[in-house]
Amino acid sequence: MNTAVNNRLLVTKAALWFFVGVATVIAVVRFTLGLGVTTALTDFTPWGMWIGFDVLSGVALAAGGFVIAATVHIFRLERYHGIVRAAILTAFLGYLAVIIGLMVDLGRPWNLWSVFFNWNLHSPLFEVAMCVILYTAVLALEFAPVGLESFRWAQPAVRLLRKLTLPLVITGICLSTLHQSSLGTLFLLSEGRMHPLWYTPLLPPLFLISAIALGLGMVSLEGLVSSWLYKREPEWPQISGLTRAASIVLGLYVGLRIGDLIWRGQIGWALDGSWYATLFWIEMALSAIVPAVLFRLPERHGGRWAVRWGAFLTVAGFVLNRVNVGGISHIAITGEAYVPALTELFISIGIVAGLGLIFLFFVENLNVWEKRPERPDRFTRPAVDPISSQFIGSPWFGSGQRAALAWAVGAVLGLILVEAQVSQRGQPRANPVRSPRNVVVEVTPRLDGKGHEFDWIHQPATLASFTNTEVENPSIQKAVLIDSGGAGRFVLFAHAAHQKRLGGEASCGQCHHRNVPLDRGTSCVRCHRDMYRLTDTFDHARHVTAHRVDKDPCVVCHADRAAAKNRSGSKSCDSCHKPIAPLLTKVKVKGTYPIGVAPGYKQALHSLCIHCHREHELAEGFKEPVLSRCTTCHRDQFGNETEMRVQAGWPSPTEQPLDIQARLGSPTAIERASKSSAGPGTKVTPQ
Amino acid sequence: MKSFAILTDVTKCIGCEDCVAACKKANDSGADDAPWKWQSEATGLSSTRWTTIERAPEGRFVRVHCRHCLDPGCAAACPVSALKVTAEGAVAYDPSICLGCRYCLMACPFVMTRYEWESANPRVRKCILCYEEIKAGRMKQPACTKACPTEATIFGERKALLAEAHRRIDAEPGKYIDHVWGEHEVGGTSVIYISDVDLTAAGWPARLSERPVPELATRVLNTVPATFLTVGAAMVGINWVVKRRQTIAAETAKQINTHAEGEVDAAETDSERTNGEGS
Repeated sequence: MNTAVNNRLLVTKAALWFFVGVATVIAVVRFTLGLGVTTALTDFTPWGMWIGFDVLSGVALAAGGFVIAATVHIFRLERYHGIVRAAILTAFLGYLAVIIGLMVDLGRPWNLWSVFFNWNLHSPLFEVAMCVILYTAVLALEFAPVGLESFRWAQPAVRLLRKLTLPLVITGICLSTLHQSSLGTLFLLSEGRMHPLWYTPLLPPLFLISAIALGLGMVSLEGLVSSWLYKREPEWPQISGLTRAASIVLGLYVGLRIGDLIWRGQIGWALDGSWYATLFWIEMALSAIVPAVLFRLPERHGGRWAVRWGAFLTVAGFVLNRVNVGGISHIAITGEAYVPALTELFISIGIVAGLGLIFLFFVENLNVWEKRPERPDRFTRPAVDPISSQFIGSPWFGSGQRAALAWAVGAVLGLILVEAQVSQRGQPRANPVRSPRNVVVEVTPRLDGKGHEFDWIHQPATLASFTNTEVENPSIQKAVLIDSGGAGRFVLFAHAAHQKRLGGEASCGQCHHRNVPLDRGTSCVRCHRDMYRLTDTFDHARHVTAHRVDKDPCVVCHADRAAAKNRSGSKSCDSCHKPIAPLLTKVKVKGTYPIGVAPGYKQALHSLCIHCHREHELAEGFKEPVLSRCTTCHRDQFGNETEMRVQAGWPSPTEQPLDIQARLGSPTAIERASKSSAGPGTKVTPQ
Repeated sequence: MKSFAILTDVTKCIGCEDCVAACKKANDSGADDAPWKWQSEATGLSSTRWTTIERAPEGRFVRVHCRHCLDPGCAAACPVSALKVTAEGAVAYDPSICLGCRYCLMACPFVMTRYEWESANPRVRKCILCYEEIKAGRMKQPACTKACPTEATIFGERKALLAEAHRRIDAEPGKYIDHVWGEHEVGGTSVIYISDVDLTAAGWPARLSERPVPELATRVLNTVPATFLTVGAAMVGINWVVKRRQTIAAETAKQINTHAEGEVDAAETDSERTNGEGS
């Protein structure tokens, strides 16, 4: 026995255990807190790393299983017999990776039973699911003799399974053919989301052909890596045979892919020099073109070096291809970039690491290879003294402890990652409006009698002191400072005044549950819609944008910092826009409406705009005038149309029946509203 | 059964969002929280907001929600038929069998399907045309169309609404764009629009073909049994041929002299390679 410690194996195993540790913790969090906090997935990129890498690539990498099984059992090329067990094991583990990846990715994996009872034969994913389940079972049966052969009691089963090898292999090949291509079929439904360089009706055959090439490459790579790990000579004759076959399949793939682009007239996309064209050529070069050439290099020209690189490139290139089809090519159309979250990435790595450990375990304990590798990492001295037969114990730091330590270090990193993720990305984006602050203000009527002014008296230190503020003077009111832009520019909001005006305690719902029921905070613009209305004469957002270069944009118009940020407190338009008609300009209006003064926005809207609009709308043949209805702006007063009109000194719609009824021939919503006995706030809806 | 639909006339919408409020109330879809990272803004379509108002050019408002395609990509995608087209035209959802695979989100050409990302037991969320309430007779029409104060969005039989849409376009030819969105797109949808502004920016991508989304995949899936049998038969056949050739070669080798064996072996290996590589 080689007593020297194999550092390669030792470090590799520790690393694998470390990644398993990271993934374990993250997986626990993913199942308790959901996908939102553990992934970067969104409604626009619903599939990410786990589908693109674990599922799509896992299945493709497992293609070696059916390709080698076909080579040995169907084409009866006996010289590949030595690697068939390893290839089947790789395939089985690849499918396990797919299943674990799917379990993590499915939002409701506990509903998986429903696949067996609710068949949707039109769903490519149903085909995928069935193939995964059946083929994993076939692979397990194909591999089972290797696991059972050392047990005496299992010999009948082993003999039976050996007899069934050929039927199992053929079933496996049929299932694999369907399965590899069905992963391509999956994306046939996503035509609207995919870049034309990747979307083609030929996706299913392309997936199948590339899987065959990839399977050949993967078996070669796996042979090369494990022989490096266990310091033994790779099976060169088999590997060079496999890679030479792969080069033919790769050539076929390149031809079909390019030919299809030309046939469909989409080749222009590959030549337009865009980022996606570059990506396409990088993918084609890595996955197929370069490996096909490398695999064909004669051995005297560094053939082994070329085979190593070719196998690595084709595997990496086709993983890139699957990721492109599954995600990156969608960004071109949806415009929604997706970068996997670290937690997502580590789950993927953890699954691969875990299966790597299982692979090594099987290789060391079962006859996967023709010669079982030695385990120099397990003992640095014998556990039992060979002379006295006395147990002297495993070394103080055996493989178990090493694994546990690596796992624990990984778990700690997992916790840190999850914490960072949950505290930053997992939470809702910072609310643009900070929590309001309570303040006490003094309210004084404006000299011109239009509205009130607020003077900020003080800000109570605590909520308790706010509530307990003695309010002797009725003009002293509680108010709320609301952060308007998240930049510390507060708007003084007279909460009490709003409450009183809207009808006391019962009116809470009008703001706190307005357009969006159960919404926590209704923003000002929900009621003061004119502020941001695109149809308005004044576009607030545009002014904010125009003045964003100023140090304090609000003050440009709302000159008095302490005053309420409303229209009456702001500068008049003509103080900046000199050429427009100043206030108190006499406006001549067509028709019988009074020529008069429009002293403020409210008056202007009520006296001029609405009148004109109503005429205009009725003339246009609107069934009901829209802008001229009180409730268009006073939306909380829906149902009180008539009342409001009377208060405003406006003619009630019933007083002008000719205007409306003559045109419509049916009662209007306004009338129905006025006739209905419903109380204020009740919505009256036309049938 | 009649196939029902919703017709939205963009020229009549005043953007009041009463439909949004009514939808939330009827479906109890929950509060719009501050926007999560997967939302562009809290007022966009989300798992709590199954319909919303989007801004179109020229100050127009467009209500967006599930289009209820006649042959929907999402229903074809769902492996367990948790999403299903009902006889009445609605695309309904059954969370009790849903796997949460999100393939429906991938297959929606309009990107109207939403997911409860913040939940550990997530459901797919989208407009279901108040299907259950209407079927049970508790509602005559969806909450949104009932709530609309300007009749900008109305509910009715699809045929009748298509006729009404064309009637409106014909009645005022200068006013509307001569196109009924949803009449032919992706094989037709149950949520149709007429408008005086182009709706390309408001949920009707220009690239939509008139072919239903599932068609291509269905064509491939229909070949599955044939593929399975063909591949199986081919494998059995190849195995039989190769085995027979090997047996004959072995027998021939037995019969001839020992010094000739090397040549036969070499010939056999060559034929094997040709077989293996040509497959």
